[in-house]
Amino acid sequence: MKNKRWFPIFYMFVVTACFSAVIIGFAQMTEEQVKANQTRSFEVAVLKVLPGLYDPNAGAVELHRRFIEKVSEPTDETAGAYTSEQDGKITGYALPFSGQGFWAAIDGVIGIEPDKKTTTNIVIYQQRETPGLGAEVAQRPFCNQFIDFKMNEGDKPIEFRRPGEPLSTGQVHAVTGATQTSIRLEKIINDALDQWRSKVK
Amino acid sequence: MKTQTKQLVNEGMWSNNPVFVQVLGICSTLAVTNLVLNTVVMCVALVFTLSLSSMTTSLLRKFTPRNIRMMVETLIIAFYVIIVDVVLKAYWPQMSENLGPYVGLIITNCIVMGRCEAYGNSNPPGVAFIDGFFNALGYTVVLMIIATFREILGMGTFLGYAVPYFSSEYWDKWIIMVMPPGAFFMLAIVTWIFRSVKMSKEEKTK
Repeated sequence: MKNKRWFPIFYMFVVTACFSAVIIGFAQMTEEQVKANQTRSFEVAVLKVLPGLYDPNAGAVELHRRFIEKVSEPTDETAGAYTSEQDGKITGYALPFSGQGFWAAIDGVIGIEPDKKTTTNIVIYQQRETPGLGAEVAQRPFCNQFIDFKMNEGDKPIEFRRPGEPLSTGQVHAVTGATQTSIRLEKIINDALDQWRSKVK
Repeated sequence: MKTQTKQLVNEGMWSNNPVFVQVLGICSTLAVTNLVLNTVVMCVALVFTLSLSSMTTSLLRKFTPRNIRMMVETLIIAFYVIIVDVVLKAYWPQMSENLGPYVGLIITNCIVMGRCEAYGNSNPPGVAFIDGFFNALGYTVVLMIIATFREILGMGTFLGYAVPYFSSEYWDKWIIMVMPPGAFFMLAIVTWIFRSVKMSKEEKTK
């Protein structure tokens, strides 16, 4: 049988089927855990952009409890943004955004003050951009630009400029050597903000 | 049998060490050695993948047609690497994020393919496992040396704990050590020292 011409193809099929079956089973076993991890990283991102909720020393359970107790789910009024409240007044919005990056989806949360004109922070909790280049969008040096950042009034709330260029209001520096990631991220964030501003009450 | 095992240990760890003799697997050597903890996890992943995929290749060697053996080897390696990747994603997401794409890239680590081709393909499963295990251990030793120096000199810590003197203000941290160039310097120095020792030993035995 081994000398038959079809044997290598048949053999490859069988081997692949066997190994794949094991992996599929394995992936299904751990699926819930992976999902829980993703939920957790999203919750932490929301806590980080809302004022006074995140504590780097708090454990996983404590952070989850805070998310459940202190963060309000999105309503029609907030147009998809999570909110934190104090004495019935909104103290901050956390708007999730998501879209296609250069390699894979980029998911993040942007924090906005109650005046809806200033961003408080940004956290990108999932991305698969090129390490050292595009992946820098998830790092602090890039994200710190969004702390206490005044947005533009027009249809482009946040404008990305090339690194090194002088900045005026409503502009941030893009990431060096990551043109594609920067262009896409700019579009993702601006689309999300535009849509949100037209709907929020 | 005993002498064979001894020989395999010696070859994997020293005389035919995958990193400083064969200069294989350099990509991951340079990439993950800036923190000792990342390096440890990477090395454990490689020990697991290399020893088991070499053994599996060996188990299938009597049935695998010669002309598609490399495809089968790649499949076996990918199988174990995905298992490692899934386990890390589920139970240690922080580490999975730290190592980024490098876990997946074990598939293309030439040491793994090299051992499967050179040894697993033509030897029984038991010795193939031992050969894979000690080759991975040889890789581990070199990576651990590089990572230890890089973390202590560059960040003043070891496994995240502050090291006396190096974490104090008397030591000006060598930031370059945790950046990519530091990896090149360290790898070159380690290769240089180990090869010199190896050569002088060989001279003496002649």
